[in-house]
Amino acid sequence: MDKVNHQTADVAALIENTLAMQAEIAPKQAAFEEKRKKREARDKDESKMFHRFKIKDIVFLAIITACTLVTSAIMPLLIHVPVFGIIQLGLGLQFSIFPVIGLMKVRKAGSMTVMGIFIALFLVMMFPPMALIAVCAVVVELLVFAVFRSYQSDWACVLAGTLYMPLTVPLLWLYYNVNYTVTGAENEAVTMFLGATDPWVIVGMTAAIAALCFVGSVIGMLISRELKKAGVLKK
Amino acid sequence: MTFFRFKTKLYPLIAIAASLFVIVFGLVMARSEDLCWYLLGVLVWLCIFGCFQGVLKMLPAFILFGGAFAGIAYASAGGDLAAALSMLNRFAALFLGVALSMSVAAVRMTRSLSQVHTPRAVTLGMLISMSFVPMLKGEIKQVREAMKTRGAGSVFDPQILYRAFLVPFVMRLVNISDTLALSVETRGFTLGGGLYSIYKKEYPVLSDLLFILGIVAGAVLAVVL
Repeated sequence: MDKVNHQTADVAALIENTLAMQAEIAPKQAAFEEKRKKREARDKDESKMFHRFKIKDIVFLAIITACTLVTSAIMPLLIHVPVFGIIQLGLGLQFSIFPVIGLMKVRKAGSMTVMGIFIALFLVMMFPPMALIAVCAVVVELLVFAVFRSYQSDWACVLAGTLYMPLTVPLLWLYYNVNYTVTGAENEAVTMFLGATDPWVIVGMTAAIAALCFVGSVIGMLISRELKKAGVLKK
Repeated sequence: MTFFRFKTKLYPLIAIAASLFVIVFGLVMARSEDLCWYLLGVLVWLCIFGCFQGVLKMLPAFILFGGAFAGIAYASAGGDLAAALSMLNRFAALFLGVALSMSVAAVRMTRSLSQVHTPRAVTLGMLISMSFVPMLKGEIKQVREAMKTRGAGSVFDPQILYRAFLVPFVMRLVNISDTLALSVETRGFTLGGGLYSIYKKEYPVLSDLLFILGIVAGAVLAVVL
């Protein structure tokens, strides 16, 4: 009898505890639900420039980022070659094809920045100066939105893909100039960063990088269009 | 959980902060001859604090690239040893920083970021990107094997690369992404303010504090002495 009484008391305490916890959490839950409903209503409005990211968007952008990084396996070798623009030339194609595919599936403001952040989180562990690519992604996004106002046009995605990698040129130029300059006994600075002082080399390499990225972006657009036609690339 | 204990696995955020510190300090102070002693100290410090494997992985690349560029620096500065040493210092700082950050496991990094209230989108994306890399290699292999089976030809031909490799590969990616998104959603992941808990929280312990203090104290000594 005593045991039964104890059990009943335990169960009652447990129920009381649960109710107290529920009561504590209820206002938070209600606020969250209200916020969610507001967001859903906003997302349904197609005229809005900013749409909330869904899990499937984040997953796709993350996979595209992983893909960009895997196909850029040549990067660890290129980062030690002090030739102006060699990194961008080696990675231009991969860093334009895949981001464009990502943008053509997730046509939301901030997609490029999200991809930039994911890539930067990787690169900060491998080659920290290149992590500034996240800043380039933000700049690209601002430029694209200044021209097209959204990613609804395929050419907006192509423009973003074309500008993404070339924007890292000035950042890496600064880094390589610092890293590969030695000062000899005569106090004269000698740079081992090849081609960084000749304006023709700079212009030529930058144009080559931009052209390569443009080609990559167009390939990305063609793949996406093909997949869209096949019904694979749904919104 | 107790703060006063020694852990061989560093707290991820402290490891990343220390890595950036070593790289930046190394690049700024590369011309100082005393820096190499500091970097040697950091190397020993890393080995003590459980980054031995990361250091070992980076060592061959450092010897190869650091040695080559130190040699070039020596020659281009007219046989000046200080120039070679400064080049070696830069490479050593970079490789030590990378070894340190590479010793952090993706899942521990994600947990730490979640604990400091990093947006769910970032932590989720980071986790997926990091764990997806080995899977992607398998996918690439599968698509290439399918190409071989169909006798599609060489992957170096741009037309074949586009039609037989890129299109099926991206199609596969989209399908995987859709399945994965569904799987993540059914496991209760939400974005934007949803309440969540963290399995196995990461906390800095005394050894982490000791580690970062050692790195900073060494830098101060390298500047002062």
